[in-house]
Amino acid sequence: MRRALLGGTCLLLSSQLAGCVTPTQPVELFQLTEESPRNKAMQTRFFETKDEVELLSASAAVLQDLGFQVEESVQDVGFLRATKERSAREYGQDIGRLFTFLLSLGGFIMPVDLHQKIAATLIARPINPEATRQEVRIIFYRVVWKGDGQADRQYIPPGQQKMEMLRDPVMYQQFFAKLSKAVFLEAYTL
Amino acid sequence: MRAISGIILIAGTLLLQGCAAPEPSQDLLALTEAQMKIRSIQTRAFDVKDRQLAMRGVIAALQDLGFIIERANEPLGLVTAARFAEPNFNDVVGVTVTVRQQGESRMMIRANAIYNNKPIEDPKVYQNFFAALERSLFITKE
Repeated sequence: MRRALLGGTCLLLSSQLAGCVTPTQPVELFQLTEESPRNKAMQTRFFETKDEVELLSASAAVLQDLGFQVEESVQDVGFLRATKERSAREYGQDIGRLFTFLLSLGGFIMPVDLHQKIAATLIARPINPEATRQEVRIIFYRVVWKGDGQADRQYIPPGQQKMEMLRDPVMYQQFFAKLSKAVFLEAYTL
Repeated sequence: MRAISGIILIAGTLLLQGCAAPEPSQDLLALTEAQMKIRSIQTRAFDVKDRQLAMRGVIAALQDLGFIIERANEPLGLVTAARFAEPNFNDVVGVTVTVRQQGESRMMIRANAIYNNKPIEDPKVYQNFFAALERSLFITKE
């Protein structure tokens, strides 16, 4: 009896201690990974031009064509940031929601993705001292907001966020195809 | 039996205290020795003459590390960037980098990183950042 009690308190204590541990700050967040060069290659193209300003304004125009709103721009460092907001509803998720609802006999209503913000940051910069060659690098990502749901009697409030980098090569290829058309130049990869 | 109830009592009080939020201290804005140490960890000098070149290097390094550039201010030498702590999509890492001219041909580059609004104080993190920055500043392809 005594032992069981003691063991119980020990367990309780240790579990409490675990609860208080703050999430670790991984060191590798500031480290280049195996994927970094691959991502870089996908996100980067080179243009044989001296006109950095033209390249930047053409990039802004292409982003506008794609439905983005330019939110921030700094010409001195060749920087653009643009976003667009769209619905994130997918049929697959709605079907999944219905099935889990039926399977759990109405106990679980899965939250589905409702709304998303797709964003792009773009940097144009000269890569040789004579500035005859420019590099354009664009990174796409998105933030998704979920709707509400219910697990048993517990209500899941809406608005939980999910963020992800968009790493679909086709997206980047399309952007650069449009950009090279806009500046009448061929886009090189390394 | 008494001993056990004593243990439970102690355990109980410990439990109550374990998670209490720390009170804001009086010297919240005072410059402590620890802060000086962190500042020296966060700062590094680079032999670069052109400030704009240094800034572009910083931006490229951040992009290489998978950061999203959020804001940049050329006259002030400021760059703000963030990224998700992949594969954990609910945590955010933010970083602000300042580039300041020091003397004729040196740049002081300072990085402040936060993880979910908590400052990162691990020197290793900053060492990694400066290693990536060095690569982007001094090793140019072709």
